[in-house]
Amino acid sequence: MLQILLNGVVSGLLVALPAIALSLTYGVLNFPNFAIGSMITMGAYIALFFNVDIGVPLLLAAGLGAAGLATVALVTDRLVYKPLRNSDHVTLLVASMGVYFVLENVVRFLWGSDIRGYDIAVARPHRWMGMRVNNEQITIVIVALLAMVAVWFILMRTPLGRAMRAVSDNPDLAGVRGINRNYVIAAVWAISGVLAGFAGVLVGMDGVVDPLMGWNYILPVFAAVILGGIGNPLGAVVGALLIGVAEELSTLILPTTYRQAVAFLIIVFVLLLRPHGLFGKARISR
Amino acid sequence: MIGYLTAILIFVIISALIGLALNLQWGQAGMVNFGIFGFFAVAAYVAALSAMAGVPALVAALLAVIATVILSALVALVSARLREDYLAIATLAFAEAVRLFLLNETWLTGGANGLPGIPRPLSGVASGLHYELMFLGISVVVLALCFVFAQLLTVSPFGRVLRALREDDLVASTLGKTTLSFRVRAFAAGGAIIGAAGSLHSFYFSYIDPTQFGAFVTAYAFMAVIAGGRGSNTGLLIGAVSVMVLLEGTRFLKDLMPFLDAGQAASLRLILIGVGLILLLIYRPQGFMREYRLQAKDGDVS
Repeated sequence: MLQILLNGVVSGLLVALPAIALSLTYGVLNFPNFAIGSMITMGAYIALFFNVDIGVPLLLAAGLGAAGLATVALVTDRLVYKPLRNSDHVTLLVASMGVYFVLENVVRFLWGSDIRGYDIAVARPHRWMGMRVNNEQITIVIVALLAMVAVWFILMRTPLGRAMRAVSDNPDLAGVRGINRNYVIAAVWAISGVLAGFAGVLVGMDGVVDPLMGWNYILPVFAAVILGGIGNPLGAVVGALLIGVAEELSTLILPTTYRQAVAFLIIVFVLLLRPHGLFGKARISR
Repeated sequence: MIGYLTAILIFVIISALIGLALNLQWGQAGMVNFGIFGFFAVAAYVAALSAMAGVPALVAALLAVIATVILSALVALVSARLREDYLAIATLAFAEAVRLFLLNETWLTGGANGLPGIPRPLSGVASGLHYELMFLGISVVVLALCFVFAQLLTVSPFGRVLRALREDDLVASTLGKTTLSFRVRAFAAGGAIIGAAGSLHSFYFSYIDPTQFGAFVTAYAFMAVIAGGRGSNTGLLIGAVSVMVLLEGTRFLKDLMPFLDAGQAASLRLILIGVGLILLLIYRPQGFMREYRLQAKDGDVS
């Protein structure tokens, strides 16, 4: 039982990073970024390129992957979302679907569709309080927690974070108060790119690196954000942890191939019963 | 060459049908359906499985339509009160759940191997190229019927209410229109057309597997609707044809660039789909044609 909880928390932390990224862009730009899945994939592949093809240690490669993806996110914003800044949010979400296709297939174009993995030593799992814990899980927990603390610090303790929260709450009011919206948007994309990049590396360490790895995370990530309440990054973390544990628990009664269906069920129930999520504001029904 | 053209035309017709459905659901009623590929898959599998069980093709197609209508109505019932972006997420989640089911319930769907040997309707009547041409004829009739159906809905008071709800549901409901009921019916009507498209797909290819029903189906449909002009059925036909010509054209990329391998050429095509969708949204969001509007006759203005 403890083992299931542990595995659930670890897979929840994997979902948490992209969920924070999605929640930040959702809050500030007011559209769901469907390209988040392919951003995860691309981050994983940039790191893989440095790690396997060039031979950089994985930690440094992950950093380069995150930086590379932040650049990709900024360029995407400049080329795609900026010209559409004044369009309605449906246009933006259809555009993000287009971005999804471009990014995932750029990955396929450059690196092929084969299943690959990072250059890491295979180690025997540790025993701790009667549970099996492997090195990858420890890394995931440490990196995810560090990233979350960093995001929390930026959001709650810096002028930039205050500006981000202000734009997310009420863009017009924030503009009147002299907050530069474009600067905030750029910062949000950069942070979201870094988070998705690290998430990609962690997902790749936990499983394998292939072009569909990010797409498979779309449902749990969206479920986490909806469960936590749109535009509420801390809620997204709680949502992600709940979903991770729920997915692990579901393997007790469902075949493991249906793990992802848990996210679908959670989305349906949240939308039916409490569409603004656990911690969101009631502003979403029409 | 005629064989190739026939195949492309049938392909265009199937895409145009999916586009028509999206044009009703999103173009008219403002309900974003990102899960089209899931409904399309359900229709194809229902038609295929019933035909393989010995049901006549027409009945199999009817069953497929009924299945998608019911599922569409259910999905709409759950999510029609939500804002567009939530509907997009909910429908996408539905389609992913469908994909999981198709991949894992091997006893029914054949899993990743798919369903081979779906019986083609009227296969005793003609063979070879004649059969292809006959199938094209059937597809044209189906498209014509669905087009008339969509057009009648669009110009009817029903379509007018849908557009009113899309623009401002508060005003429409103040005038006594029940938002939920209209949205559910619009979504189900779209589902019926997707049911026809899925049946045609199954019967034409006589082999289906889950990879044929990916998110790219949704992207094609959105491109066709946006290119044609959101809400216009005639525009949609033009949009669907031009999008498919463009996409088929990219098949020849491989001949132009022989240094690419097959996988790279395939991914380049999908990159172009994404880029095309984005460019349309940025440079031509209004499309080719304007949507239907009831107009007063000349001199009728009081």
